[in-house]
Amino acid sequence: MTDLAAAGRTAIAKSSTASKVWYGGLGVFMVLGLYAFIRQEVGGQYVTGLTNATPWGLYVAVFVFLVGISAGSTIIGLMVHGFGRKGYAPLATRALLVGLIALAAAVTFIMLDVGRIERAVFVPLLDRNLTSVQFYSSLSYILFGLILLMGLYYTVKASRGMSTARDAKTGRWLAIAAVPFALVVLQGVDGALFAGIQAREFWNSALLPPHFAVGALVSGTAVMMIVAVVAARIRGRDLVSRDVLTQMGVLLVLFIAIAAPLDFFDFLVFRYSNTAGGDEAWQFLAGAQLPFSILHVGGYVAAIAILLSSKRRKDVRWLTAAAAVALVAVAAYRYNLIVVGMELPLLPFFANQPYWPSGIEVMLTLGVIALGLCAYSVLTRVIPMEEEDADPAASPLDATGQTWTPQTTGQQPAK
Amino acid sequence: MVIDLDRCMGCRACMEACKVENNTSEQIFWMNVFRYEEGDYPDVTMKFLPRPCQHCENPPCVKVCPTQARYQQDDGIVLTDFEKCIGCRYCIVACPYGVNFFNWKDPEDNYYGLDWDDKELDSVTDGAVPPWKNPDLDKRYGPDERLVAGSGHFRGTTEKCTFCIQRVTKGLDPACVETCPVDALIFGDLDDPQSDVSQTLRKKSSFKLKEELNTNPKVRYVGQTAPQTDGREIEAIPIEARD
Repeated sequence: MTDLAAAGRTAIAKSSTASKVWYGGLGVFMVLGLYAFIRQEVGGQYVTGLTNATPWGLYVAVFVFLVGISAGSTIIGLMVHGFGRKGYAPLATRALLVGLIALAAAVTFIMLDVGRIERAVFVPLLDRNLTSVQFYSSLSYILFGLILLMGLYYTVKASRGMSTARDAKTGRWLAIAAVPFALVVLQGVDGALFAGIQAREFWNSALLPPHFAVGALVSGTAVMMIVAVVAARIRGRDLVSRDVLTQMGVLLVLFIAIAAPLDFFDFLVFRYSNTAGGDEAWQFLAGAQLPFSILHVGGYVAAIAILLSSKRRKDVRWLTAAAAVALVAVAAYRYNLIVVGMELPLLPFFANQPYWPSGIEVMLTLGVIALGLCAYSVLTRVIPMEEEDADPAASPLDATGQTWTPQTTGQQPAK
Repeated sequence: MVIDLDRCMGCRACMEACKVENNTSEQIFWMNVFRYEEGDYPDVTMKFLPRPCQHCENPPCVKVCPTQARYQQDDGIVLTDFEKCIGCRYCIVACPYGVNFFNWKDPEDNYYGLDWDDKELDSVTDGAVPPWKNPDLDKRYGPDERLVAGSGHFRGTTEKCTFCIQRVTKGLDPACVETCPVDALIFGDLDDPQSDVSQTLRKKSSFKLKEELNTNPKVRYVGQTAPQTDGREIEAIPIEARD
């Protein structure tokens, strides 16, 4: 612990002006977030925009978005172990770190959303209700967090040349287990949290868990593309090869091509289900929630338009732009899903209660995200990233006996 | 509970009685009487729908509660254990009837401007215990002695109608039933064929709210038809004005 802290201090001391600006900016958001947290904890959650008519809002939307990023980025990072894609090896540690931090941030948002944090932390342990999906989801976060921690342990151990053959084997099996766990258990259960609610017409669809899984793949791929590009900028040399980045772009468009029709046809069926909810949902999506609907649909369309061009697929700037708009599209979809699902009146004569996040909610949300980015920035300096210090002979990647050479050495930064 | 909609005149005395009996905070209505209209001009009908917790036989809130804070007694009454509730509001989300309420702020800061320590109130009440200090509400109920009523209520937890558990356990009717001036609310044992509720149900056609969801509410409505999809609220309770 002391070593880590010392390494962190050394890393920060060596920071350039740009990184000082980065940490300073994050610090401002974190301070604002702390202020918002104190306001909420002292006064109660009445400082949020939530009401009894809209009891879930921004926190829950960001929570599902972050769990999706956690699952998706982990899958992308483990491509090398699970699917033998060696080109993705330099992303593995960062992906596990992103997965872990996103998961921790997601759980933080749930803790901020509940009224009694001191009791909520014991949900998986005490008073558990086996019929509640929330019990299983909280259990899945713990298990997934453990998988990620163990994965990170073995990856870092390998990068320090301390890995044994047994470690390599365990690391590989962990990776293989993590992929279906992230997609089926984590995202499936998360989707079922909403899909199983009969009272909420907008969510009550068997397609919701697959939506969550595909959305996770889109957001995870997009985040890891951005991570690869930003890391290359900071390091001054590529993290992954251009070919791998282009491949990720192809994967992204493929995932969007699955996610977008799922979103569209699921809503189309609901819209024409001849229910009052179908009409109301349409009114919300085309009315109060229109900015988010535009970001959702427009983001997917823009990403597809960029990535269908083979020329743009090879241009790092276009690839980064496609990843960014895809990420925004998933975030907007998650937000609309939560808010519209809440705002559809339960009984015909219930008055609609338009929800808009309060300043405190927004500040706290940005504060937690800044904390996550700060943790990532510091930990990537403290924890040895495998592509810098890897000893290929000791890496879990070589469990099959094959060796790999980081494709980054000597390459120019992506432009 | 059986609610006779032919008798209900929308006076909301039941809401008032519930407030006095259970000491609920501002914007929290365990019993709510919706005033709404149906049909198109000139064939518009104004209707009232008293809506307590439906105490479903198959309650979605009990299923989703992660901590078993929401539970069902053997007699069918659905209650909240305030000492176990984590305030996740999953029950609010899962309930098709909107009967759950979250305490967004400290209840003592949310009570219609009453000063609990005002000595002048003592002279007005002549030494009587004010309703918001009803000691019965702090007692523990059921075989597990769980805190399910609570006079002070608790910030960060969810609450709802208990059918006035503190009265029912003494053999009394819930406060709303006791107060209704036109006997539109009838309380009793649905399993007893001789009870008032069973006899009323035999005399009149009845419906359950959102019957298609198979929650099987233990609150039955008689006298009119279920709310139609064109129902429009004509007098909203401004729950957005929480400050």
